[in-house]
Amino acid sequence: MDPAIDVSDLRKTYRTPFARKKVEALRGVTFTVERGTIFGFVGPNGAGKTTTIRTLMGLIRPSGGTAKILGHAIPSRAARFKVGFLPESPYFYDYLTVNELMDLTGRLFGVPAATRKQRADKLIERVGLGRARSQSLKKFSKGMLQRAGLAQALMNDPEVVVLDEPMSGLDPIGRKEVRDLILELREQGKTVFFSSHILTDIEAIADRVAIIARGALTAQGTPAELIQRSALGTDITVRIAADVSIEELVAGASNVRRTGDQLSLTLPADADVDAWLATSRARGAKVISVAPRHETLEELFLRRIASADASSEATEGRV
Amino acid sequence: MLGRIWAIALNTFREAARIKVLYGVLVLVFGANFLALVLGQMSYHEDVRVAKDIGLAGMSLFGSLTAILLGLFLLYNEVQKRTVHAIVSKPIERWEFVVGKWLGMALVLSVLVGLFALAMVLMLVVQGAGMSDDLVKATLLAWVEVLTVAAIAIFFSSFSTPFLAGIFSLAMWVIGRVTPEIEAATRFASTWIRIVAKVALEIVPEIHLFSPSGRGDVSIHGNFVSWGYVAMASLHGLGWIIGLLALACLLFQRRDFV
Repeated sequence: MDPAIDVSDLRKTYRTPFARKKVEALRGVTFTVERGTIFGFVGPNGAGKTTTIRTLMGLIRPSGGTAKILGHAIPSRAARFKVGFLPESPYFYDYLTVNELMDLTGRLFGVPAATRKQRADKLIERVGLGRARSQSLKKFSKGMLQRAGLAQALMNDPEVVVLDEPMSGLDPIGRKEVRDLILELREQGKTVFFSSHILTDIEAIADRVAIIARGALTAQGTPAELIQRSALGTDITVRIAADVSIEELVAGASNVRRTGDQLSLTLPADADVDAWLATSRARGAKVISVAPRHETLEELFLRRIASADASSEATEGRV
Repeated sequence: MLGRIWAIALNTFREAARIKVLYGVLVLVFGANFLALVLGQMSYHEDVRVAKDIGLAGMSLFGSLTAILLGLFLLYNEVQKRTVHAIVSKPIERWEFVVGKWLGMALVLSVLVGLFALAMVLMLVVQGAGMSDDLVKATLLAWVEVLTVAAIAIFFSSFSTPFLAGIFSLAMWVIGRVTPEIEAATRFASTWIRIVAKVALEIVPEIHLFSPSGRGDVSIHGNFVSWGYVAMASLHGLGWIIGLLALACLLFQRRDFV
């Protein structure tokens, strides 16, 4: 079976209008999204997330490489039939009500009138816009527009859902609801590809993650894979008498904190934790907790972005 | 395919119906027709003639200007406001979107031309005259003119800004309206001017065909064109509409929506 999304060496180069200077928005992006999974796409502003998504949705023509959705090479109308899309900061016809927006969307997908009405009602309720169904979108807040965008993205009962910054503009409750909705979509067997700046959201729900910086992927894998590879050390907390010298114990450690008879510190990743624990016990310490300290997705993200920036600057310097 | 085009057309109709300027144009046209009534009273037995002239001129002039205005903004706004992102990411071909936009505009413009015609007929009825075959033909020709001008505006707005598209559309409409006069004026000009004029006129629709009254011995007040002429002129307009929309679709197809 074809993967839900298969992107290979995707490139997009723009030329500035007068100077004709080349701007590489995408520089050989390659990734695969398996069916029935949630794929998180992370990157800073201007990294190429939205360009990748717009290319997948046929809004932008790639300069090179290939991309397939459900086995159909883009831009493919057949694929778009099975894809639901929420654009970044969605702009809809503000004179429509959410009911009318759903009806228009359903018509474009060729959904029969009866199903259209039924599905629209269900989705509007699902995204929490039941009370605002007859209000024009002009009166909607950013969060409400985002919800309306989510509802229209599901109007065709898609196999693949592509969401560009779905949590943007939402309050913590709204974000939780969107996370739950994404998880629910996966339970229904749908594939969700979404971009976000909110790394905790991605870490919480994504099966796989890709980090993009300056138009190129810098890391991809499951959150566990990405984070495991980057174990930072071991966090240890022990209870030790205040008059005992800890000089030997804290040598080489970081984040050292001694509060009363409690000592907390982080040993480096290559430290011998067993030996350290034996030494501390020999000094009468009682172990409270020992936990391997993994890099968070946020830390990984910041590190990858910094290294992409550094290598890009070095390349520009050589040129 | 038809369902998708119709969905875009209906939405465009809804969008255009919200443009307040259109209601201003309607008031203006009704006002012009009322003015025709007043001017007719001041003339010597020419009241019906004045009402017809002003009614038909208003239909052609305001109809065409409205077509340019709608054509410029309705397509451009879609791209500028990014509403197009949520549409062309659906299983709709871009050409279906462009044709749907034109069709929606055509619906609005048809309603407008119908209302202009109604205003003219009301004034004629007040003056004891009524609708004639010739007036029906002239109204049909004005309608085709307006639809052709809408296609011109859509074509230009598919690749340029409203300002430039407005200038180009207006120029094309004006030149198309005075093609015979330009030909006559350049008949005795130098060879290269004649060549330039000929080439320029070839790429402009002959919009003057839609307002034949006053050319030669053709007149809406007596000796108007035949139904055969109306059919041929309409075919000319249809040909240009299809050609311009095809080009607009081609250009729109190649655009990146960033």
